[in-house]
Amino acid sequence: MNCPYPDTLRNQMELVVQLIVYGILMGMIFALIALGLSLIFGVMNIVNFAHGEFLMMGMYIAYLLSTFLRLDPLFSLPVAAGAGYILGILSYRLLIHRILRGPMVAQLFGTFGLMLFLRYLAMYIFTPDVRSVKQGILVGKTLSLGWISVDASKVVSAGLCLIAFAAIYWMIYRTKLGRALRATSIDSEAAKYMGIDTRGMNALAWGIGGATVALAGALLAHFYYVTPTVGMLFTLIAFATVALGGFGSIIGAFIAGIVIGLIMVISGQLVSELKFSFIYAVYFLVVVLRPRGLFGW
Amino acid sequence: MRRFLLDIFSFDDRPRFERVGFLLFLLVLLIFPWIVTSAYGRAVAIKFLLFALFGLGWNLIGGYGGQVDLGQAKNVGFGAYATALMIVWWKVPFWLTILPGMVIAAAESFAIAYPMFRLKGHYFAIATLCVALVWKELFIFWDWTGGARGVELSIRSGADFVYMQFNSPIYYHYFIFFLFLLQFFFMNWFRKSKLGYQVQAVRDNEDAAASLGINVYRTKVVNYTITGGLGALGGSFMAVYYLYIDPDAVMPLDLSILIAMTVMVGGAGSIWGPIIGAAILIPLDMYLGAWLGAQKRLGIDFMIYAVIMMIIAAKEPKGIWGIIERVIKRQKR
Repeated sequence: MNCPYPDTLRNQMELVVQLIVYGILMGMIFALIALGLSLIFGVMNIVNFAHGEFLMMGMYIAYLLSTFLRLDPLFSLPVAAGAGYILGILSYRLLIHRILRGPMVAQLFGTFGLMLFLRYLAMYIFTPDVRSVKQGILVGKTLSLGWISVDASKVVSAGLCLIAFAAIYWMIYRTKLGRALRATSIDSEAAKYMGIDTRGMNALAWGIGGATVALAGALLAHFYYVTPTVGMLFTLIAFATVALGGFGSIIGAFIAGIVIGLIMVISGQLVSELKFSFIYAVYFLVVVLRPRGLFGW
Repeated sequence: MRRFLLDIFSFDDRPRFERVGFLLFLLVLLIFPWIVTSAYGRAVAIKFLLFALFGLGWNLIGGYGGQVDLGQAKNVGFGAYATALMIVWWKVPFWLTILPGMVIAAAESFAIAYPMFRLKGHYFAIATLCVALVWKELFIFWDWTGGARGVELSIRSGADFVYMQFNSPIYYHYFIFFLFLLQFFFMNWFRKSKLGYQVQAVRDNEDAAASLGINVYRTKVVNYTITGGLGALGGSFMAVYYLYIDPDAVMPLDLSILIAMTVMVGGAGSIWGPIIGAAILIPLDMYLGAWLGAQKRLGIDFMIYAVIMMIIAAKEPKGIWGIIERVIKRQKR
C-alpha cells in the first residue's frame, strides 16, 4: 500500500481493517478446502494426505481452460467440481476401500502414496514451472469500498464458497441422503444393518470431498499461482483448520477456516517468513490442548 | 560384560539363512568399492548406506514403536547443522561434533515428545510433520544458521581423518559403512533389550502392556528421544560428505518421507527391513531418476515410488520382508 503521509493512527487502522477483511475472505476459501477433509474424516475416520493434490488439480483445470480454450475461469468451476467428484470416487474405489481395514500405518501410507502419485503426475504433465491464470472477468480487478480495496476475485470466491458451504450443509442436514451419510459416520456397522449402503456412502463422501476441494482450487486459481507442489501447503492448512474446528464438524470447519485465515494474514504481516509456522503451531497447540477442537464431539 | 557383547553381536534368535545372508551382504559391501570403479556407482553405494542408516534409526519409532513419525528430517538437520557450524565456527574436529548433534536432536525430541504423545495415530503423524516444517522455516529465517544460503565447509586437500574430508569416495564408503555397522549393532542390541521388548509390547497392545506394569507414556517418550538422536548421526555424515548444507538439502519434507518409505517398503519392525528398502529405493532413485531426468521426463520415478507405496499399503503392510518371511514359512511346511 502506498501511504502519502507517515504512519498515523488512521493509516494503522486502515491497515488493520484491510487485513481483517482480507483474512476473512481467505478464511472462507480455507473453510471450503477443509470441508471435504472434515467430511471424509467424519464418515470413515481416515485422513486424506492427497487432499491438497485434489486442490491442485482443480487449479490446473482452471488454468488449462482459461489458457487453451480461452474460457473465463469462472466457467471452469463446474468442470473442476465434476472432475474432483470423479477423482474422489475413483480414489475410493481403487485404493481407499482396500486400505480401510488395514492398520493405521497402512492407511497413512496409502493416502500418502496417492498424494505423491498425483503430485508427480502433474509434474510430468505440466513440468515444475509456475503458472497462473492471466485472463478472466475477475482476474486482477479490485473493488473499492471507501478506503478499503480488495481483489474482486477474492470477494466473489468467498461468496461462492459461502454458497457451496450452505449447499453441502443443506444436503447433509436436510436430505435423506445426508441422513444416511450421518448415520454411517456415527456407527457404520449399525447403519449397514439398517440397510444403508455404507460403501456407497463412503464413496459419496470422497466424491463430495473431491468436488468441494477442486471447486476451491478453481476459485483459488484466480489469484494464486499453480505449481505441482502447491498441494502440501494447503493440505497442512486444511489439517490445522479441521483440527481447530473439530474433526468431522462442518460448522467447526467454517469458523476455524476464518480463524486460520485471520491468523495467517496477521502473522504474515508481522513476520512474513514464518507465517506458515504459525498455522502449524496452531495445529499443534489445538490437538495437544483441546483434541476435540472448537466444535468436535 | 560377555553377556552384553553377545547381545550386540549375536543373531542366535534368527534363522540360519538370515545370518548367512547378512554375512554375504557385509562381504559385498566390504569389497564393493574395488569391484565398482565408477564414481557414480560408488556414490549410489554411499547413499544406500546412508539411507539404510536413517532407516535403521527410524525403524525404532516407526517399526518397533508402531508410531508414524513424518518429521525425522528435523533430526537429520540438527546433526548436519551441529557438525557444519561447529567446524566452520570453532574448527572442532569432526568426531567431537557427532555427540553434540545427537544430544541436541535427542533433547529437542524429548521436549517435543512430552506433549506430542498425548496424540495417537493420524494426529501424531501430522503433528510430527508440522514440527519438522516449523524447524525448517526457522532455519531459513535465522541468520546465525546461514539462512536459506546454508553453510559451506572449506575444502581440505588430501585425506583428513580429523575433519573426515577425503578426495576419494572409497574413504567415504568405509566411513559410512563404519557408522552403519555401529548403528546396526546398536539396533541388534536394542531389539533384545528390556526397552526394546517394552516398546514392542506397547505397539502390539497398549492396554495389555500397561496392565503388565509398563509405563506406556515413558516408553514412547524414551523411544522417540533415542530415534531423534540416531537421526542426527546420519546428518553429521551428510555435512562432511556433501560439504554444503542448507535447510532444503537436509531438512525437507521429502527426506522425512523417503526415510519412512524405505522402512515401510522393506518391512517395518524387522532389523533387515530398512536395509532391503534402501537397497531397492535408492538405486531405483539414482539410476531410474537420472535416466528419466536426462530424457526430461520428470516425475515418473516418483510415480513409480507412489505406486509401490500404495500397493504395499493395500496388499502387504509388512513390506517386502513380510513377503520373504511368508514364502520361507510356506517352503518349510
